[in-house]
Amino acid sequence: MRNLLDFLYRYRTFGLFIVLEVLCAWLIIQYNNRYNASFLNSSNTLAASISQASQNTENYFKLQQINKQLLEENERLKDSLINRPLIYAGNDSIKARYHATKARVINNTYRRSMNFMTLDVGQQAGVAPGMGVISGTGVIGQVKSVSQNFSTVISLLHRNLMVSSTLKRTNTICTVSWDGLSPIQAEVKFVPKHIDLQVGDSVVTSDYNSVFPPGIMIGIVSEVNVKEEDVYYGARIDLTTDFTSLTYAYVISDDLKAEQDSLENLLEQ
Amino acid sequence: MIRINHILQAKYLAAFLLMQIPLLYRLVFFDVAFGFFYVGYILLLPHGTNRSLIMVIGMLSGLLIDVFSSTPGIHASACVLITFIKDSWYNVANEHSEDDVDLSVNAVGLWGFTKYALPLIFIHHCIIFIVENGGLINFWMLSGKIFYSTILSFIIILTIGYLLSPRKQRI
Repeated sequence: MRNLLDFLYRYRTFGLFIVLEVLCAWLIIQYNNRYNASFLNSSNTLAASISQASQNTENYFKLQQINKQLLEENERLKDSLINRPLIYAGNDSIKARYHATKARVINNTYRRSMNFMTLDVGQQAGVAPGMGVISGTGVIGQVKSVSQNFSTVISLLHRNLMVSSTLKRTNTICTVSWDGLSPIQAEVKFVPKHIDLQVGDSVVTSDYNSVFPPGIMIGIVSEVNVKEEDVYYGARIDLTTDFTSLTYAYVISDDLKAEQDSLENLLEQ
Repeated sequence: MIRINHILQAKYLAAFLLMQIPLLYRLVFFDVAFGFFYVGYILLLPHGTNRSLIMVIGMLSGLLIDVFSSTPGIHASACVLITFIKDSWYNVANEHSEDDVDLSVNAVGLWGFTKYALPLIFIHHCIIFIVENGGLINFWMLSGKIFYSTILSFIIILTIGYLLSPRKQRI
């Protein structure tokens, strides 16, 4: 027993080193879960307030650009309002399913291999982990964790985020995910070879996911590779959203998500 | 008993660790060079301090950065490793003398500081980029990031170190 205590005493520094590293490893592994209530990330109230202050300073110098983005988005919305078929106008069950909460992006990275952003809305505005986030120009991510007034979002530029999507022209289901290379491009996976995939096809969110409303723009096919041995195309898209200048975003809440998920889980059991 | 210049350490804390927070992902050059200069605070902790104590300090400063970059554990683990090996590495890189408490640039000289700091910054950057990347996927892009970031961080640390480190006093 004494020898054991002696041994522990002699190697106490090394022991502490091991303990601290194991603690760090545990934090890293635990954070890989899709949703969590970790306070050790950018939705932490104190950290987010500081990010917000520094982002405010930065935004002050970008006001002109931000104004221009908002004007363009307004124009697009006006356009779609004019062209909207009258048949949808009175259909409340379609309209009422999704709600958008406006948010400001107070922290955003796009050059790392795993990118996150922070929004200035949280539980108080009804944001919950798992909700989709879009901007005026397309899909940008999914909420990972929330605090009272802030939330951390997994960016579309994160290798673990897969978005269920469709090719608009052929209605083929496929998956969009990021390969870690360029912040303006992503990969389209699982498009079978018998489909006629062409450069210039639009890729939008599919009807089959309970995160994003169907038909939200993701990107435009820019490169199609066919390999003899593969079952699927290897294709890349140019993202329609410019991740380098995100200022405003909308968090999408789906009123029927719980109902859809519980029904689908019932089938799986 | 070693004497620690607490005012100088407080200056380092402010200049390296607290300055890093607003500049964390804003100080990026050519899309590959990330300036993680906060590691300078850990490198300049006085030589010969209780190793357990500086490991805890390293862990806490790493966690502080982690909170802002949404990567809990990654910066912390790299910092713990650096604090664990820094004193031994200093003794290997520079001939050890008992009164080397202050590791500032003026005290150990430019070459001495480079020999001591550059490899440790490189190890630190290797860990954070590889762990964040989840392995060695996109190897060339990853090694470019590590290489250029190491250089950028080192230059910033050297500059701040020169500005803050006390002049050698003549007796």
